Amino acid sequence: MIEVNNVTKVYGKKQHEFVALSDINLSIEKGLSVAIIGKSGSGKSTLMHIMSGLDHPKSGSVVIDGQNIFEMKQKQIDNFRAQKIGFIFQSFFLEGNETVADNVSLPLEIASVPHSQRKERINQALAAVELDDKIKNRAKDLSGGQRQRLVIARAIVNNPSIIFADEPTGNLDSQTGEKIEDLLFGLNKERGVTLVIVTHDDDLAAKCDVRVRIKDGKVQSVEYANRKGEEK
Amino acid sequence: MKYLDAIRRAGRNLRQAKIRTLLTSLAIGVGSFTITLSLAAGSGGRTFVEDLVSANTNPNAVYVQPRQESMQQSGGVQEYSDTPSISYGGGFQLTLLKGSDINSISKMDGVEQVDPVYNLNAKYITVKGQKKYQAGLSTYDDSVTLKYAAGQGRDLANNAIIINEDYVKPLGFKRSADALGKTIQVAVANPLGVERLFEFKVAAVSEKSDLAVGGTSDLVINNAASKTVYEYSEQGTPLEKAYMGATVIAKNKESAADLKDTLSDKGYDAQTAEDLMSTIFTFVNVLQGILLGFGALAILTSVFGIINTQYISVLERTSQIGLMKALGMRNRDIGRLFRYEAAWIGFLGGAIGAGLAVLLGSLANPYITELLDLGETKLLEFHVWQAASVIIGLMIVAVLAGIFPSRKASKLDPIEALRTE
Repeated sequence: MIEVNNVTKVYGKKQHEFVALSDINLSIEKGLSVAIIGKSGSGKSTLMHIMSGLDHPKSGSVVIDGQNIFEMKQKQIDNFRAQKIGFIFQSFFLEGNETVADNVSLPLEIASVPHSQRKERINQALAAVELDDKIKNRAKDLSGGQRQRLVIARAIVNNPSIIFADEPTGNLDSQTGEKIEDLLFGLNKERGVTLVIVTHDDDLAAKCDVRVRIKDGKVQSVEYANRKGEEK
Repeated sequence: MKYLDAIRRAGRNLRQAKIRTLLTSLAIGVGSFTITLSLAAGSGGRTFVEDLVSANTNPNAVYVQPRQESMQQSGGVQEYSDTPSISYGGGFQLTLLKGSDINSISKMDGVEQVDPVYNLNAKYITVKGQKKYQAGLSTYDDSVTLKYAAGQGRDLANNAIIINEDYVKPLGFKRSADALGKTIQVAVANPLGVERLFEFKVAAVSEKSDLAVGGTSDLVINNAASKTVYEYSEQGTPLEKAYMGATVIAKNKESAADLKDTLSDKGYDAQTAEDLMSTIFTFVNVLQGILLGFGALAILTSVFGIINTQYISVLERTSQIGLMKALGMRNRDIGRLFRYEAAWIGFLGGAIGAGLAVLLGSLANPYITELLDLGETKLLEFHVWQAASVIIGLMIVAVLAGIFPSRKASKLDPIEALRTE
C-alpha cells in the first residue's frame, strides 16, 4: 500500500519559484499496476522520485506499508530502497564494460546479500528475463531489447515489493516493447509486485489497473480499469 | 556494501579506464622508485660501513687520546710544562699519552689489555741482494681480519713479519709460498738519521682485501717488535715513551661502553668502535635523506594527479553514482568506493615503482660494485619490508588525495545525477 498525502514540490526560490507538484493525493493498493500518465514537464517523474524516497517534497507525506518514508533516517531510507524497491530507468544506466552478471549483482552488493546466495539469485533473475545465456557477455554487446531486459533483471534481483519504471518501453520498437510489457505485467500478476509505470504512452497505460493523469503538477484524473470493477 | 565488494568494484572501475589509471599510477611510481632506491642505498651504505668498521675495529676496543685542551688557544707566550707534547707553530700543542697514563688505564676495571699506538716508519725494506722498496709498517691487530695467500699470521713471534702479496714478486720470490721463512730487512732511521736494519722472518703472506683500510698493504709485525722499532725511531724526541693514543681492549662490549665513560671522566678523549660507526652513519643518513626528499617531492606532485584524475572520474560517472544512490547505496559507501579506487592507484604506482627499483637495482648492483670497487658489498640492499611499507605508505597517501573527490561523489544529489545523460 502506497499513500501519497498532500505532496507539494517546489523548485527554485522566491520569484523563480516553480511548483512541480501541488497537493497530490494518491492511494495505491498493494499488487496493483499503476500508470502515471502525463506530458513531459507535467511532474510525473518528480512524483515517482518522491514516491520512492529519492527526492523530498516541500510538504506532505508518502506512507508505504504504514511508514512515512520522510520520517525515516537517511540510513533507513537507503535500506528501504535497497530491500523493497526496484528501479527501471528510461536511460538504462548500465555499466557497458561490465558483464551482465556484474550489472545484476550491483543491488545485491548494495544490500549486502551474502556471497553464497548471489549466484543463484542472479541466475534466477536472468532466467526470468531470458538472458541466462548471456550471463558472461558485456552489457554493451547486448541489443536494445536485451538491455532493457537486463535492466529489469537488475530491478527484480532483490525480490522487491514495488517496481518503479520510468518509460520502460520508450526506447524500444513496438515489438520489443510488447515483450517488455508482458514481462512487467507477468511479474505484477505472478509475484504480486506493485508496479508503478511513468509513461506518456496511452497504449501502455491502458494495460494498467490504475491510470493517474498528471497535468501541470496536479492530479487530473484517476481511472480504475474495468476488470477491477468500480470507476472513481 | 561489504568491504570486499567495494574493493573489487573499485578495481573493476579502474580497469575500465586502463590508460588513465596507468598514467596516474606512473606519476606515483616515480616517487616510489626514488624512495625504494634511496632506502636500498641507505641500507646498503650502512651495511658497507658496518662491514668496513667491523673488519677494521674490535667491538671491545676503546680508542683513547689525551684531551687536547690547548688546541684552540690563540698565540701568545706559553709557560713550559713537563707533560710530553708536540709543539707546532702559533702556540698549538698536541698533548701525548705518557707511560704512566698507560699504566693507570690498564689498572681500570674491565680492561684486558692496553696497546699504545705506535707510529711506525720504515725507511725502506729489502731482501739481501734485491732492490730497496718503500713500505708501510703497522702493528698486528687481532680485530683486523686478514686473508692469507700463504702461511698463518696468528700469534706472531717477535721476529716474524706478515708481508702483502704485492711485495712477493718485487722482493724476488716466485710465489707467495716461496717467501715463507725468508728474511726481510726493514731499515729504520733514528732522529739523527742513523739507519738500523731490523731483520724479520716472513710468517705469512696476506691477500689484498677491499674492505680493510689499513694494515693490509702494510707489513705487519707484533706488538713487542713494534715497540722496539718505535723506541729506536723516536729516541730523544717527545714521542719517546709517549704516544698519540692507545687502544684499550675491554673484556666485552658492555664494559667497553663503561670504560669510555670512565675515561671521559678522567680527562681523556675516548671513542668506541660504535662511536666511529655512528659518525659515518650520520653521513650515510644525510645522503639518504636528500634522496628521500626528491622522492617525497615526486609524490607530492603525483597527489595532485590523483586528485585531478579522481575528480574527473566523479564527474564522468555522475549517472552511475546516481544509480547506486537510487538503488540504496549509502553516501558513506559511495565515498568509500572512490577512496578505494585511489588506494588501488596508490598500490599500482607503488608496486610499479618499487618493482622497477628492485629489478633495475639488482641488475645494476654488480656494475656499481665494480665501479666503486666495493668488493663483496652491494651498494643497493633491498628489503621486502621496506618495499612493502613504501607501497602501503603510498596507498595511504593516495587515499588522502582521494578524500576530496570522494566527498564530491558522496554529496551528489541522486536526482541531479540521474538527470545527467
